[in-house]
Amino acid sequence: MELRGVSKFFGGLAANAGVSFDVNAGEIVGLIGPNGAGKTTLFNCIVGYDPPSKGDVIFDGRRINGLRPDAVCKLGMARTWQKVRPLANLSVLDNVVVGALRRTNSVRAAAVAAREELRRVGLEAKEAMPAGALPIGERKKLEVARVLATRPKMLLLDEVMGGLNPAESEAMIALLLEIRAAGITQMVIEHDMKAIMRLSDRVVVLSSGETLAEGTPREIVANPRVIEAYLGADE
Amino acid sequence: MKAAGIALLIGALAALPRFVESTYVLHLLILVFINAVAGSAWNLVGGYAGQYSIGHAAYFGVGAYTTMLLMQLKAVAPWWGVWVGAGAALATALVIGSICFRLRGPYFVLASIAVAEIFRVTALNVKGLTNGAEGILATEIPPLRFGAAVVTDWSTKVPFYYAGLGFAIAVVAVSVLVSRSKLGYYFQAIREDQDAAHSLGIDLTFYKNAALAISAVFTSLAGSLFGVYVGFIDPSTVLPLELSVQIVMICLIGGIGTIAGPMIGAAVLIPLSEGLRSNALTDALVGAGIVGAESKTGAFLKENLAHAHVLIYGILVVIVILFLPEGVVGLFKAPRPASAGRGWPKAG
Repeated sequence: MELRGVSKFFGGLAANAGVSFDVNAGEIVGLIGPNGAGKTTLFNCIVGYDPPSKGDVIFDGRRINGLRPDAVCKLGMARTWQKVRPLANLSVLDNVVVGALRRTNSVRAAAVAAREELRRVGLEAKEAMPAGALPIGERKKLEVARVLATRPKMLLLDEVMGGLNPAESEAMIALLLEIRAAGITQMVIEHDMKAIMRLSDRVVVLSSGETLAEGTPREIVANPRVIEAYLGADE
Repeated sequence: MKAAGIALLIGALAALPRFVESTYVLHLLILVFINAVAGSAWNLVGGYAGQYSIGHAAYFGVGAYTTMLLMQLKAVAPWWGVWVGAGAALATALVIGSICFRLRGPYFVLASIAVAEIFRVTALNVKGLTNGAEGILATEIPPLRFGAAVVTDWSTKVPFYYAGLGFAIAVVAVSVLVSRSKLGYYFQAIREDQDAAHSLGIDLTFYKNAALAISAVFTSLAGSLFGVYVGFIDPSTVLPLELSVQIVMICLIGGIGTIAGPMIGAAVLIPLSEGLRSNALTDALVGAGIVGAESKTGAFLKENLAHAHVLIYGILVVIVILFLPEGVVGLFKAPRPASAGRGWPKAG
């Protein structure tokens, strides 16, 4: 996937200003930046939830900005939501079935695929529970299972570790690495720097809507501009 | 077990006219069927897809007017006319849907009310076609023949009873099929969270319109049957806002988003409202000896209670909604988790 000068304006305010970078197939790219840097806005631009004001999003050699979220999902790009959005009155299984129906018209086949994804995230014992009754950690897992069931080529994960305890985070990191091993490209927004450093092949830093730095995790932690953005300038 | 129960119920309903002579009971049951069909139809778009249309009178009226006009002006038999009516309602639904589904939540509700009112006012004023407020009176329904044999000449209530039962079975069958298919899953996903559904690859416009289209077809069947059965329609009986509200009420009372809900809702609400209107409550009070028929209170009730039927009906509806937020069906279900509310569809 390539971003070419993606900008998003809300009135006169530029939430994203000319963001350009590439995400190569099969890698995990971490997207970090202080609060309000425009990370979630960028996700919204990419998947068509809130299309960019300017610039191009190219996925699999195709320009996808201007497409609606359902069309983007059909092309193989799926996202999770920072504030999880379970289909509260449906069972855990049915939530994932909805995702799996992206690839099949048969509810039975979708249920088989959905159980597989639930096993992958470790929610198989709770499949009959209403999704609204899950605690936050498991809602995040459900969110991941549901997008995985759409069989994406690329996943955009918006803070899937937010609100998780250390053990749950650890399990989530293992899961994301397993997803990468399965060949699915990922772009991950995360605040937990340790997790980002362990997961990412490359890291992109956004600050005030602009790309501040881009590089391997090691390069990023050594970059004085990044340190400045996070901790303030050293006078 | 469940299938056996349903087969038994259908069998009992099918055999009922053989044993029940009372035309009033048959009349009530026909009205229950008509309302159950309209309620179940609404339930597909309102209960499953979560799009709270309060303008279903439009489809009811389009069906009723199409069938009645075809019968009166072109001598088209109603059993053909209903399908033309269904087609007209389908076309109407696609036009209304493509406009109103641009709006979400409460705004969609308001738009649906407005569109139905446009239909009512139009029917009132296009006098050349609809006869305006004078309405359309069905003079004679041609006898239904199968080969040379006359199946029915429509002189009793029984054929209407079977037509209503048939439509009710059809709408339940379609609801069951839909709820177990991809359509049903997608409808419910849209109800629970539109944006999440959209991001999972669900084409919102397509599936909302699909729900409305199926719903409109069955609502129009209910409307057509009502028109032909009563033999008279005018804008204030088949196109009013009260009808749109009543269709929603049937689902709310019975249990929204469930197959049995609208059936139970119609079976509870229709006899209740008919009974209140015909002063059955006063008769019951007098009959039970609670108030004397000749006493001052008795006379007052006789005089006034029937007029207050809308008030009593309204109070009962409020009580049911307060104490049975999931409808009558909720009585038979395990309680849901507290966090999983049945909310208004999310706006914004």
